[in-house]
Amino acid sequence: MAPTFKLQCHFILICLMALRGESRYLELREAVDHDPFLLFSANLKRELPGEQLYRRAMRCLDMLSLQGQFTFTADRPQLHCAAFFIAEPEEFITIHYELVSIDCESGDFLKVFDGWILKGEKFPSSQDHPLPMTERYIDFCESGLSRRSIRSSQNVAMIFFRVHEPGNGFTLTIKTDPNLFPCNVISQTPNGRFTLVVAHKHRNCSFSIIYPVVIKISDLTLGHLNGLQLK
Amino acid sequence: MRLPLLVSAGVLLVALLPCPPCRALLSRGPVPGARPASQHPQRLDFFQPSPQPQQPQARPVLLRMGEEYFLRLGSLNKSPAAPLAAASSPPAGSSGSRLSPDEVAANFFRALLQQLPLPRRPLDSPARPVERGAENALGGRQEAPERERRAEEPPISLDLTFHLLREVLEMARAEQLAQQAHSNRKLMEIIGK
Repeated sequence: MAPTFKLQCHFILICLMALRGESRYLELREAVDHDPFLLFSANLKRELPGEQLYRRAMRCLDMLSLQGQFTFTADRPQLHCAAFFIAEPEEFITIHYELVSIDCESGDFLKVFDGWILKGEKFPSSQDHPLPMTERYIDFCESGLSRRSIRSSQNVAMIFFRVHEPGNGFTLTIKTDPNLFPCNVISQTPNGRFTLVVAHKHRNCSFSIIYPVVIKISDLTLGHLNGLQLK
Repeated sequence: MRLPLLVSAGVLLVALLPCPPCRALLSRGPVPGARPASQHPQRLDFFQPSPQPQQPQARPVLLRMGEEYFLRLGSLNKSPAAPLAAASSPPAGSSGSRLSPDEVAANFFRALLQQLPLPRRPLDSPARPVERGAENALGGRQEAPERERRAEEPPISLDLTFHLLREVLEMARAEQLAQQAHSNRKLMEIIGK
């Protein structure tokens, strides 16, 4: 392959990577509107007209597996609340603060945890997660709106919150982004087939199923040098 | 000869000893956080009415902070009869004609939340550094000792059994499928036009 052609291919690949995997399309208008720089002004794929964001109220204890806008409003002091978020295995979760009305001074808090923590047990574990434990908790009372959008490192996340004053609360928008190489996954279902590719070296990955299941490993490749393969 | 006999006896003893049921779910009685509830936990079936609805004692679900368990103190504003009546509604999977899935899910979570504790004393001590930290954060800066103290605090977590976690996950998936069906129906309506 000629070096010039290789350079052109690399340039095209870089341009495609810049789109971050999100689906875009080039809207070709009529010839009079032809724009030679249309590639650089590509728009995001349009949503269907009239498609509305899913909205509902969030409960003190909740599990959310779809995108949308969720509002929690305390009708009475709610001191121990948590909401679990889970997406598809090949997705990240992005939590965006739309509105937060809590009184941090009186003991309210709203914390996002990167993963799930249940009875003190964390998923992913500290050995598998890229961030240290202290960075996995993002406290709104500390960071405020400086970190308005928080993206998880895997397909699960959760929030802990406490609201003393009735009427206070918050609104979050939950969105998902594609994860090309999921590493730590919690499966939503007890059935299915999943392929986990560890794209990075020296990284621990895991796939968890919280149901009693039978697991069959059909393909396994662990290292090329040692020839550890299972077909 | 003796060693296999001793091993067999030990195995029999372990097998025949009464095992405590699943811990970290419930504890009866308004004991103010003196002992961990894992010693004598009891199971609560949220989808069946309580056998003794007259007793106002609620059975708390424990919120675990680090290694400490906090039991519920005092009583909630709502009477326990209301959540127990709500908990007696049919399960989410067989809500059928009487209740919508949303109502069943709301009843389930309401019943679950009624069991959540309202600890006072045990949470006061970790709450105070949280409040102080919040004040500093609102002031714009947080001192290094406060940050270190917060980092040393045990992680906040929720004591939820895998059984309940699966239940809420199934509800979330049912909601997701319902929303997907709604979107598909709208899409078909648009295409049909």
